[in-house]
Amino acid sequence: MNMALKKERYSKTELLFVSNAACPGCASVLGLRQILKALEYNVMMIVGAGCVGGYTGSYPYTILKIPALHSSMAGGPSIGAGLKAALDAKGNVDTTVFVWAGDGCTCDIGLAALSGAAERNEDILYVCYDNEAYMNTGGQRSSATPWGATTQSTPKENFESKFKKDITEIMASHRIPYAANVSVAYPEDLILKIKKAKSIRGTKFIHLLCPCVTGWSYPSQYTIKLARLAVECKIFPIYEVENGVKYTINIHPKGTDIREYLKLQGRFKHLSKEQIEFLQNHVEEEWRLLGKKVEWSHSL
Amino acid sequence: MKKMMTGNHAAAYGAMLSRVEVIAAYPITPQTQVAEKLAELCAQGKLNAKYVTVESEYSAMGYCIGASTGGARTFTASSSQGLVFMQEMIHWAGGSRLPIVMVVVNRGLCSPWTVGADQTDSLSQRDTGWLQFYCESNQEILDTVIQSYKIAEQILLPVMVIYEGFYLSHTVEIVNLPDIELVDSYLPKYEPQYKMDLENPATFGSIAGPDHYFRFRYEIQKAMEESKEIIKKAVKEYEMIFGRKSDLVEDYYCDDAEVILVVSGSISGTSRLVVDKLRKEGKKVGMVKIKMFRPFPKEEIRKILRNAEKIAVIDRNISFGHGGIFCQEVKSVLNQGKTKGSPLVYGYIAGIGGVDITYQLIEKVIDYTYNEEPPKDDIIWAGLTYEGQVHEYGFKEGKIFQD
Amino acid sequence: MGRIKVLPITAISDTPFSITKTGRWRYETPEFRNKLSPCNEACPAGNDIEGFMVLTKEGKFREAWELIKEENPFPGVCGRVCFHPCEFSCNRKEYDEALSIHAIERFLADSQINTKSEKHQTNPKKKEKVAIIGSGPAGLTCAYHLARMGYSTAVFEAHSSPGGILRTGIPEYRLPRSILDHEISDIESWGVEIRTNTSIGKDIAFQDLKTFQAIFISTGAHHSRNLEITHEEGRGILSGLDLLKRIRMGERPSLGEKMIVIGGGNVAIDVARSALRLGIRTVEVYYRRSREEMPAIPGEVEEALLEGVKIHFLTSPIKVIREREKAIGIECVKMTLGRPDESGRRRPFPIEGSNFQVYGESVILAIGEVPNLSFLPQEVPVKDGLVQNDETGLVHPKGIFAGGDVSNPSHSVVEAIGSGKKAALAIHEYIRGGSLKEKFPMIRVGGKGTVSLKKYFHPPEGETNLSVVPFKEINTDYFEHLRRISNPSLPIEERKGTFKEVYAGLDRKMAEEEASRCFTCGTCNMCGNCYIFCPDLAINLISTKNVYEIDYDHCKGCLICLEECPRNVISLKV
Repeated sequence: MNMALKKERYSKTELLFVSNAACPGCASVLGLRQILKALEYNVMMIVGAGCVGGYTGSYPYTILKIPALHSSMAGGPSIGAGLKAALDAKGNVDTTVFVWAGDGCTCDIGLAALSGAAERNEDILYVCYDNEAYMNTGGQRSSATPWGATTQSTPKENFESKFKKDITEIMASHRIPYAANVSVAYPEDLILKIKKAKSIRGTKFIHLLCPCVTGWSYPSQYTIKLARLAVECKIFPIYEVENGVKYTINIHPKGTDIREYLKLQGRFKHLSKEQIEFLQNHVEEEWRLLGKKVEWSHSL
Repeated sequence: MKKMMTGNHAAAYGAMLSRVEVIAAYPITPQTQVAEKLAELCAQGKLNAKYVTVESEYSAMGYCIGASTGGARTFTASSSQGLVFMQEMIHWAGGSRLPIVMVVVNRGLCSPWTVGADQTDSLSQRDTGWLQFYCESNQEILDTVIQSYKIAEQILLPVMVIYEGFYLSHTVEIVNLPDIELVDSYLPKYEPQYKMDLENPATFGSIAGPDHYFRFRYEIQKAMEESKEIIKKAVKEYEMIFGRKSDLVEDYYCDDAEVILVVSGSISGTSRLVVDKLRKEGKKVGMVKIKMFRPFPKEEIRKILRNAEKIAVIDRNISFGHGGIFCQEVKSVLNQGKTKGSPLVYGYIAGIGGVDITYQLIEKVIDYTYNEEPPKDDIIWAGLTYEGQVHEYGFKEGKIFQD
Repeated sequence: MGRIKVLPITAISDTPFSITKTGRWRYETPEFRNKLSPCNEACPAGNDIEGFMVLTKEGKFREAWELIKEENPFPGVCGRVCFHPCEFSCNRKEYDEALSIHAIERFLADSQINTKSEKHQTNPKKKEKVAIIGSGPAGLTCAYHLARMGYSTAVFEAHSSPGGILRTGIPEYRLPRSILDHEISDIESWGVEIRTNTSIGKDIAFQDLKTFQAIFISTGAHHSRNLEITHEEGRGILSGLDLLKRIRMGERPSLGEKMIVIGGGNVAIDVARSALRLGIRTVEVYYRRSREEMPAIPGEVEEALLEGVKIHFLTSPIKVIREREKAIGIECVKMTLGRPDESGRRRPFPIEGSNFQVYGESVILAIGEVPNLSFLPQEVPVKDGLVQNDETGLVHPKGIFAGGDVSNPSHSVVEAIGSGKKAALAIHEYIRGGSLKEKFPMIRVGGKGTVSLKKYFHPPEGETNLSVVPFKEINTDYFEHLRRISNPSLPIEERKGTFKEVYAGLDRKMAEEEASRCFTCGTCNMCGNCYIFCPDLAINLISTKNVYEIDYDHCKGCLICLEECPRNVISLKV
């Protein structure tokens, strides 16, 4: 898809003020910008605890043009659902409540709350911005940290030995109306998916991979490149699941060698040839399994 | 209209009459009937509220915070483990200045497991910026819930309405249910000044630098201090409309008392009977019931206790490493300059884990206060036994001490 | 500041963060800086290739054609005969295949075949007159530009029809007469006077041209070089260039059944292919170096081989075989390549004892062309058989200029056109009392000697010496691999016996599709990548000017825009 020529599709709406307190090259704030562009109007936001709590600015400044409420780490889903309940009680059924929380909140400390909200099919749009560690506290591992990565709590002598928690699958298994992966490198796809999610009632879960300049150790200009490589190397497949059973892959990756992705990041520098091969095999296997799920879902 | 109902149901009716809009609660013994009754009222259409069965107390309070920031009147209930599970959010609600009303049914904290009454759970949240009212009867519970909304929505601080598990929550008493139109005349619709509003967007709860944060904390304390007047007015207004009085600090025969008993919660009723009996016997005994624990009624306490020689505080709670919490708070406001002399304060700990505090035990407490001077220890364990033996610095009524 | 006027009791914020100037965090600063596309640098005629490619992609063929015509009056000719150095520099070549720039130039010319360029004389008529000797590509280009500037021009052409080598030296199947006539008549419509059958030195003395304010010598190179081998003098050895001329003028000489052509340039190949069309059964070309070193356009060589021309590489004639004075063949010796000579090409030397004879009814010599300089006066400096001029075309400070094959040994139409344009500007400067050399840095396009007329008359603001975009700066993530669309060609069987054009042109859809493969190296086309990928919203669209602008108060210098610009428009500020 020649995306270079599709700028007409981006609305002129910006729901963020110019600039923010994020690190230069931060994919999280860029993802937030793109998502808010897609939501366009009639939206209120719950700001999770983490990097976003920092970059939205300290009192009395804010980067958000929309009403927003900061939440605790585990509180995002329930605070969002509560806000939506209050709006419903006031007769305002059209405002979207958008919860923006990191992988720490989503996959670890707040997973119970998120699961509860999903089970009740609370009418919220939940977006997990995943920088694959607890970045705001310095970069300790989370359950979303991929195998092989070094973090502040898993240094290279004892690097991360667990595979990344597949939060999209966990959310899909709740049979929520919509769960999807998106990437900042594919803004077209991201914007379409957010608009689709906005039109659905019930719990919508979006998983956004955010390369982190500071935490993954790379020069800031490669943020989009890494986001794209993660998709092209099949590490972060872009797909969606409707009602927990209908799988669709939205972007078919070229199948670039995983070394292109790993070599740019400091957190993978220590991996040996055999370890990289192991990781490659794992990625291939996961991709194959996803393919099987797609096949299965089409056969239903 | 008079009805027989448990304390839990009284709380539920209180919420219904206050026309709450969002309810999120997680069941925990002995609070379950609060939520169940509200579920029933909502399902029957008697209460037009959104009722959500959240998956934990943390989410329950989160829900209330979200809803309250959205401009809705919210209600939740919890106890013991549930209360401390949502502790992060209790602090959060206080700092956010949201007028949430929560009913707390006192129950001992684990481990080991217990379901008996014990005020340590609600008292462990005394630093959070929530107002705390300890109720004596089911009627008081209902009345206090309604008053709490009026108070909370003016001073913008959340309120806990607290009562003991089983003694009040499950005990049936006669409760006068006011007409809802009457309640509407007392309690207007909730119209917050600041809420999540598309017309006036703002970001709530950002990180604040040290100077700002210091000021915000000062604001909370200021609000607490200013709230006393508002609380008094709200209570007075309630009395005028509904005819029921409720003192924040009740003074029962304290003017000339030599020994003043300080109590809270359900044992207030029992204590009054003991005072009556002892007065008949000629003993100059008085009783103070503390209903409003936060903000702590410093002036009232100082004024009432100023002339007594001895104060006996009965705590159904303990702060480990120091002693009974009401006792600490009372001690801390005495000896602050204006009191004549310094009464000797006896701190009694009784009833923890739901052990019954009987008429006789209270008599024993007053007896001990008269006779033992000074008290054997800072903490006198009333009714504590182990392996059949009475505690060294304590006593037990009944089997070991015969009346 | 926010709308909340009363100090809130808890952290409720509505003051925009933007008042914090995060631009101060920067270590490196990106900036928009348009650069030069390698195709533009490579074109000796100074075509704005990148410019016309963008217009073609949008279907604006008329505007694209006019853009070419601002620099080069011969798009139809170039689109057929140029050796397209632009395609060899095209960055897309490194990714999949080079753009068919040559084919698109032809398409644009053909699409406007029924259009005449606008005749608004924007430049006021000037009183000065310029004489141009020779109506080849150099001369006519010079006349065209001077006429557009308002000067009167007189082009003196010795031949009976104008065009120079275009008329006489390039076969019909490569350049149909109709196309040439059309473009020349368009040049004449600007007020250029062409006097055919007028030879300077014979019909008019060179001295008589002093009445003109300036003279441009562009007589080309029409004289075949000699081989300097044994028995070369005598009947039967024909000059390749003469033969082409005769065929072009309509003659159909009978040349026997077998032809031997000596040489490896375009003339040799043109002769060979023309011969096949005349019915000669066997045509053999003998060239003394290897195929890679052949100066002929590689595409032409390929077509020749497909059509059945036999080319013998690394073979050099040493003697002409004569029978009764008539040349009937040559004796050759096989060559092998040694070390490179001063031209950079490996020097061939003969293999001992590899001699052999070849016989044929016609022997054609096409080893190079040289100019005829006999008519030139003393003051015109000459060296190695070429007129000596400086980089602007100036020969003599008294207003004598030269360009094209008469002064340039490389013999390409497009370079002749470029030199004609340069000379026109030099003449204009000379007449005004200035010197083009001083203006060179401003009008230069890249470092290969190309100049732009547009830059002369509309000096660009800001930096003039733009850097050229190398392939490694193109972000290919934004381009799919696409097949190159090029001119369809006539099947071999259909070429026999006819001088019909071998290549057909592209159609409209093909041209638009092919043009959309262009990377537009170095020129912003508002793709919006920088805009949508900026985390700080520091790139703004200025819709009134249709450009993007960086907000330096808030740009943190993360350089995502630099990395994601597909065409290297954003670079670090130096």
